[in-house]
Amino acid sequence: MVGSVRHLHLMDLSDENVEPTAVIAAAAEGDLAAFEALYRRFAPRLYGLCLRLTGQREAAEDCVQESFVAAWRGLGRFEKRSRFSTWLQRIAIRTVIARRRGLRNVHEVGEPATGLPDRPDPDGVAIDLERAIAALPEGARDVLVLVGIYGYSHAEAGNVLGVAEGTCKAQLHRARGLLAAALGAEES
Amino acid sequence: MKTRVTVDEELKRLSPEIAPPRDLWPGVVRGIVRTPRSAPRLSSVPWMAYAASAAGICLAAALTWVMVDGYWPTTSSPGLANGSTPAATPPAQTLPNGSPRGSPAIESSAGVVASLGEPSDPHYLAARAELERTFDQRLAQLDPGTRAKIEADLASIRRARDDIRKALEAQPDSPVLEQLLASALHDELDLYDDVVRTTQPTSARI
Repeated sequence: MVGSVRHLHLMDLSDENVEPTAVIAAAAEGDLAAFEALYRRFAPRLYGLCLRLTGQREAAEDCVQESFVAAWRGLGRFEKRSRFSTWLQRIAIRTVIARRRGLRNVHEVGEPATGLPDRPDPDGVAIDLERAIAALPEGARDVLVLVGIYGYSHAEAGNVLGVAEGTCKAQLHRARGLLAAALGAEES
Repeated sequence: MKTRVTVDEELKRLSPEIAPPRDLWPGVVRGIVRTPRSAPRLSSVPWMAYAASAAGICLAAALTWVMVDGYWPTTSSPGLANGSTPAATPPAQTLPNGSPRGSPAIESSAGVVASLGEPSDPHYLAARAELERTFDQRLAQLDPGTRAKIEADLASIRRARDDIRKALEAQPDSPVLEQLLASALHDELDLYDDVVRTTQPTSARI
């Protein structure tokens, strides 16, 4: 029985373009197997987001775990006005921001640019780029990650980061310039 | 020589997904178990917050008393002393003795514990069962010596838990004992979590 339920969940999640509403509903009802299926499906996206926002592997791992715990607790309030992945990402971004504030409060300073992905990258461009992104100032990095990699609009990024849309545009411009200088690429 | 490309073109080459270097699910389950959906927030229940506060103040003295009276085994884990995340609970109505592990683990912890205030919510029980299932699997993979030590630690924690329950039977209104019971339950979860984390499959690590 459990096996067949798990199979159904996995089948339901196989198409990235289809919102897994049945699995989400089951998880909201307390089905932990369904929630694990959601975790398996969305953890890589959340980890990528958290790793790029924090620049640290351990911090990213903590943020992903905290985000999924928060998602579990808040699933009953998920109103389906946005995609589930968007909702999850919003939770993750807020978790990262909250963690930064906490770290500042205790005067802890993390070492950036560690734990970057070890994916196959024969020409090293992606690794260079990831390191350059991790080295960006926080504000510029946040906007670049959300807009440049995760497809947020400036309005969406500004909303979730708690900054004005104009600030977002300025930070993106700044980030592009810094990246271009670091990589020897053209700015735009 | 690298061809000059735009920053935007470089960014488009990045995948939004990066596989975590290890399986983070056990940690998620641990978080779920620790903060079940239906668990009342301490701060939202004034008398519970008061009881927890009082228990915290008395904890050091209580620990001394417990040790002197022999309530607590000498092998209890350090989590007891840190007073972390107490879940002040109403006094027990029934106080069953300890029971064996296994699938019965749920009965031996969650089922019994429900009568002492630990959430009896099925979501919590399912999450806890998942954690214990993983713990059992990982424990079985360890060498006999390590496994025996962990089982001994677990038995100590459970003995302490049961002793505290007996004490609570005599003093059902004692916030100190409630605090100690909460600590024992957290110690048990910490042990599960330690084993699960430290036995993470090698292939899942960097």
